[in-house]
Amino acid sequence: MSNFSQMIAEEEIALVEKPEKSEPLGLLFWLCVGWIGLNIIGAIFANVLPLQNPQFQDYNALNVGPSLHHLFGTDDLGRDLFSRVVYGSRISLSVGAGSMLIGFGIGSPLGMLAAYRRGRFDTILTNLMYVFLAFPAIIATIAILSFWTPRSLIKIIVVIGVASIPLVYRVIRTATLNVATKDYIIAAKVQGATDRRILLRELLPNIAPIGISFLLIGVATVIALEGALAFLGLSVLPPTPSWGNMINESRTILQQNPWLAVFPSLAMCLFLLCLNFIGDRLRHHFDVTEVKL
Amino acid sequence: MSPDNEKLLVVENLATTFSTAGGPLPAVGGVSFELMANETIGVVGESGSGKTVLTRTIMGLQQRTNVNVTGSVLLDGHQMVGASEQEKRAVWGTEVAMIFQDPMTSLNPVMRVGKQIDEALRVRLGMSRADAKVRAIELLELVGIPSPEHRYQSYPGQLSGGMRQRVVIAIALACSPKLLLADEPTTGLDVTIQAQILNLLDDLKERLHMSVILVTHDLGVVATRTSRIIVMYAGRIVEIGSTREVFSAHRMPYTRALLESSPKVTNDPHTRLVTIPGRPPNLLKLSDGCSFAPRCSFATDQCHKERPELQDADEPGHAFACWNPLPATRKRTVKTT
Repeated sequence: MSNFSQMIAEEEIALVEKPEKSEPLGLLFWLCVGWIGLNIIGAIFANVLPLQNPQFQDYNALNVGPSLHHLFGTDDLGRDLFSRVVYGSRISLSVGAGSMLIGFGIGSPLGMLAAYRRGRFDTILTNLMYVFLAFPAIIATIAILSFWTPRSLIKIIVVIGVASIPLVYRVIRTATLNVATKDYIIAAKVQGATDRRILLRELLPNIAPIGISFLLIGVATVIALEGALAFLGLSVLPPTPSWGNMINESRTILQQNPWLAVFPSLAMCLFLLCLNFIGDRLRHHFDVTEVKL
Repeated sequence: MSPDNEKLLVVENLATTFSTAGGPLPAVGGVSFELMANETIGVVGESGSGKTVLTRTIMGLQQRTNVNVTGSVLLDGHQMVGASEQEKRAVWGTEVAMIFQDPMTSLNPVMRVGKQIDEALRVRLGMSRADAKVRAIELLELVGIPSPEHRYQSYPGQLSGGMRQRVVIAIALACSPKLLLADEPTTGLDVTIQAQILNLLDDLKERLHMSVILVTHDLGVVATRTSRIIVMYAGRIVEIGSTREVFSAHRMPYTRALLESSPKVTNDPHTRLVTIPGRPPNLLKLSDGCSFAPRCSFATDQCHKERPELQDADEPGHAFACWNPLPATRKRTVKTT
């Protein structure tokens, strides 16, 4: 190597040098994290927290608006809306987390394997998934939940989770296919990397941003789906509250007491919004593929 | 380290055929050549002449389906044709390594470059994490990357194209391969960086006693850096010989056409470059004759009907496949009109 080319090389590096410290995540990000954290703590410790019994009916206070005594007011049976929203998050969050755990736990390893291995395994599995995809998931979910009685939270999680597998599979498989044909995967292979290593160390980090984005959208969709099922009366049985079935119940007396719809909807919206914002921010923050000049 | 007169690579009658919807596609056919230890051989030809498929076949990198490889690739005693994944893994890295065309896609964008070099060292040589790091930094230094300790922590996205190609070379050299396959290593880089990378390869080849197969479509690249040249057309070798011989005493009209179509410093300003008329042949519809015949101004009936085999020229080691070769003259100067 001549000194000259060394010099050019150094100059080149100076040009593309990126500041070592990346930009901070920002206040809004931490507010969102805080809100999600608060929701999760609320859901876990609902029965320890100083909340009113969500089932207790106070006939002296039916359909009252927000006050100091009842933060969000009460419903038509005199139940405290605030404590029902907090308790309701238990169902919504468990459905969101549980069914995505099933969907991603099964869908993503299958998708990665199929895209990496190709061949007959891929053909059979992909076509099978497409058959499931062709059948509307909501109809299948409704049909199964209608007949699989008595209903329970676990059954709802399992049905929604299984229904989400084909979708997760397709997204992850496509993302992996895109990466698996890149030269650096072949390069890793000809350096003697094993299949396991390629899947976990080379492919997984590359598809993780897509996976995480899709996971967060998935949690949001599933929480909304639980709401939809509750709307049809197919979610957990009353009087157990969930954000979805609270919105459903509010519909009959919407004109007398709109708060009944506003608070659970607001809780659901804020939660999903924060989740999406966090996902977006994280993806941007940890993206090392583009130089930030 | 092998002595210089030892055959490192013996390719015999190698053919790679893809099964496609349109029938069998012979991407590489009847290729035979030998490569000595510590020798650099250039493979030149137009796009689609089978250069890349040839290197990938030598490497043993075919898809598992739709491809049929026959013949023999003997790499330092290891048969690569028909070898299992395990057998190939034993050869990859330590016997043969590869540099890819585009440094933008041959590095994993989400892994620090140091880790990518480490990987080979730890998997293939079983080094400890700390040893691998020391060695990786040495390798980065070897390929001319300034402040290697610092660069070890960089992501590929933070490096320029030339730097990335240096890293790619460092990865390829990690397990001290005896043979380095460089598939158009400078196509994705600009001209000044190209020269640096080629000089680096040359330098490393001498220092590490490697053999190199340099694939390119740029004759200027091979002219000064190879001892021998293989000219490929439609998946076959049409001329092979020492670099000097191929440049100055080529016999095959295609070689001449290739040489004439590259610009020269001695040309008058505004000289039009000679182009080869027509297009490379459709490999699905190859005739029985010479595949260059439809584009060749010397073609006769025989050329269209019978395929010429490689025949020896006057100089030992120089061979060409042509029925109507250019006359054997010393010192042919390439003219451009």
